[in-house]
Amino acid sequence: MLDGIFTGLSTAVMPFNLLMVVVGCFAGTFIGMLPGLGPISAVALMIPITYGLDPSSGIILMAGVYYGAVFGGSTSSILINAPGCASTVVTAFDGYPLAQKNQAGKALALAAYSSFTGGTIAAIALLFAAPALATVSLSFQSTDYFALMVLGLTAVAAFSGKGQVIKALMMTVFGLMIATVGTDTTSGATRFTFGNIDLIDGVSFLLLAMATFALTEVVMTVLNGQHKEEEEQVDMSKLGSMKLSKEEIKEIAPTIGRSSVFGFIIGVLPGAGATIASFLAYGLERNIASAKEKLKFGKGSLRGLAAPESANNAASTGSFVPLLTLGIPGSGTTAIMLGALIAYGIQPGPRLFIDNPDVFWSVIISMYFGNLVLLILNLPLIPYISKLLVIPRPILIPLILFFSITGVYLVSFNSFDIHMMAIITVIAIFLKLLSFPMAPMLLGFILGGLMETNLSRALVISDGSLAFLWERPLTLGIVLTAIIVLCLPPVLEYLRGRRAVKGPEVAVTEGEG
Amino acid sequence: MIITKDHIGGLVFLCLSVVYGYYAGDIALLPGDEFEPFHAQTLPYALATLGGILSIGLLFTADKGVEHKLSLKGYDFPLVAKLLLLVVLFALALDWVGFMLATVFFLISGYWLLGERRPKMLLLASVPFAAGIWFVLTQLLDIYLAPGKLLTQLFGG
Repeated sequence: MLDGIFTGLSTAVMPFNLLMVVVGCFAGTFIGMLPGLGPISAVALMIPITYGLDPSSGIILMAGVYYGAVFGGSTSSILINAPGCASTVVTAFDGYPLAQKNQAGKALALAAYSSFTGGTIAAIALLFAAPALATVSLSFQSTDYFALMVLGLTAVAAFSGKGQVIKALMMTVFGLMIATVGTDTTSGATRFTFGNIDLIDGVSFLLLAMATFALTEVVMTVLNGQHKEEEEQVDMSKLGSMKLSKEEIKEIAPTIGRSSVFGFIIGVLPGAGATIASFLAYGLERNIASAKEKLKFGKGSLRGLAAPESANNAASTGSFVPLLTLGIPGSGTTAIMLGALIAYGIQPGPRLFIDNPDVFWSVIISMYFGNLVLLILNLPLIPYISKLLVIPRPILIPLILFFSITGVYLVSFNSFDIHMMAIITVIAIFLKLLSFPMAPMLLGFILGGLMETNLSRALVISDGSLAFLWERPLTLGIVLTAIIVLCLPPVLEYLRGRRAVKGPEVAVTEGEG
Repeated sequence: MIITKDHIGGLVFLCLSVVYGYYAGDIALLPGDEFEPFHAQTLPYALATLGGILSIGLLFTADKGVEHKLSLKGYDFPLVAKLLLLVVLFALALDWVGFMLATVFFLISGYWLLGERRPKMLLLASVPFAAGIWFVLTQLLDIYLAPGKLLTQLFGG
């Protein structure tokens, strides 16, 4: 492991890769601060840029953007009560009241310290958890992989929120259907191309990701009329001090520790991302607080701000564990990274840390740097970064649209792809209006090809019998976990309904962190 | 009965699954493939079946409250339609007039559609930007950008 750490360190400290971390954190913070655009959109916008880089630099840049976007989302939550993404919605509960009390500086600093601590604790845990899991998963066979992919897909659906499970499963199936378009890799037969030459290679991952997460998100802000809203001007003189007193540090230290560990564990679970971690950490902190302390929640409680902030960053790091070791993304954003890695020709999974140790370890090491950059560089620069938001929306929106379109065009140089993006955007808007989540579709699409290959191998080996699902204890264990994960939310909902507990409850409506 | 978002979504997916399953039958198989446990049609058929089952499941478990009705009020659909049309026109312009002119056209039209009317702003936020991007791509990154069919026909390749 020590060899690996040194390999990662030597790759991560290369000046160019350090630059990528810094650029990624800045770009992510800026995009994350724009209401409506979250980490998924930010990472999607970066894919075309990373195509020109080597895989380690590319994934380091995307990881930086991911952290930056989560941090940027917290900033806009605290300053203007407009969360940039779902995972920072909870930050606004106590962050914005603090800003209203002229303590925005303290809230921002606390968010940064909590994020840093959460990210660091999780990165250390990742350092040990990822290689251990990767070693275990080296014994996986095609049947286990197939079961694992089913687990990943069902978990994303199961964690997608109240009443959304069937819709998320349908979107997963839709994603798998899109993945079948093009040439079948085993037989060479064309499927669902309808004689169109441009569809023979199938739908490109980049096109689908950019259309559903960059183009659609931007167009949705226009559809909602957000482009007409004047950006709330933040009076920087009212930021107040960024220092925390000793008593305050003493008060929040246990909260940050608890929430970081909790967030990491939630993040590791395939499907549960930063959003769920932040909601649950906030709920947990409120439940264990004293009656007097409980009253402060929602009115500017420091604990109420520290808990979700440390949890969402820890979960962001945690979601790299299944991605790097099993090739199963833990969240929508890591699903995009998985697609990008596959596009670079790297297969994430147990063999990643044997075949591409530089990628594996440099990502882990650069996470420390990413957290440091956010704390040392981004925090003091927040007043200046937020000035970028002054760019009028009628100018900013066409520019983002332009970047998303040309990002796809400059990879394929085929204008058909742009037409395709417009069509996919129309479909995505329609589905969003019907409250269908998008992340499961992308995940289904990315895992579709691999899943079909593994299913085909497993079925051929077992001569068409489905017995492969229960013959190996490991496969059976994974399949059973998938069933439990899928059945748990409806059962819990039913039990909750029977208990008829009344009271303020936080509902997770969007799990697309 | 109130038709909610779930009902519409369920019906649309049911139709999609039926059409998808129908066209799955058109996938050409290799001789003898029909006796294999897995071939090019296997997954599409499985997905069509699964899609159908889930759609019916959604139709039966759909939220029936008034608050789940699809409301299209307050959305600016004409503007979105114009923006998407602009995206399509940008793709056509790329083929005909080349990257730089198409970019200037796209940005000016985009700013205009979203309410920017100051000519100075329209030009300043588009021409230098397009020229800058074109310079970075062609001169620094050495990426070949086709000049556009119209320009080639007018001025020769």
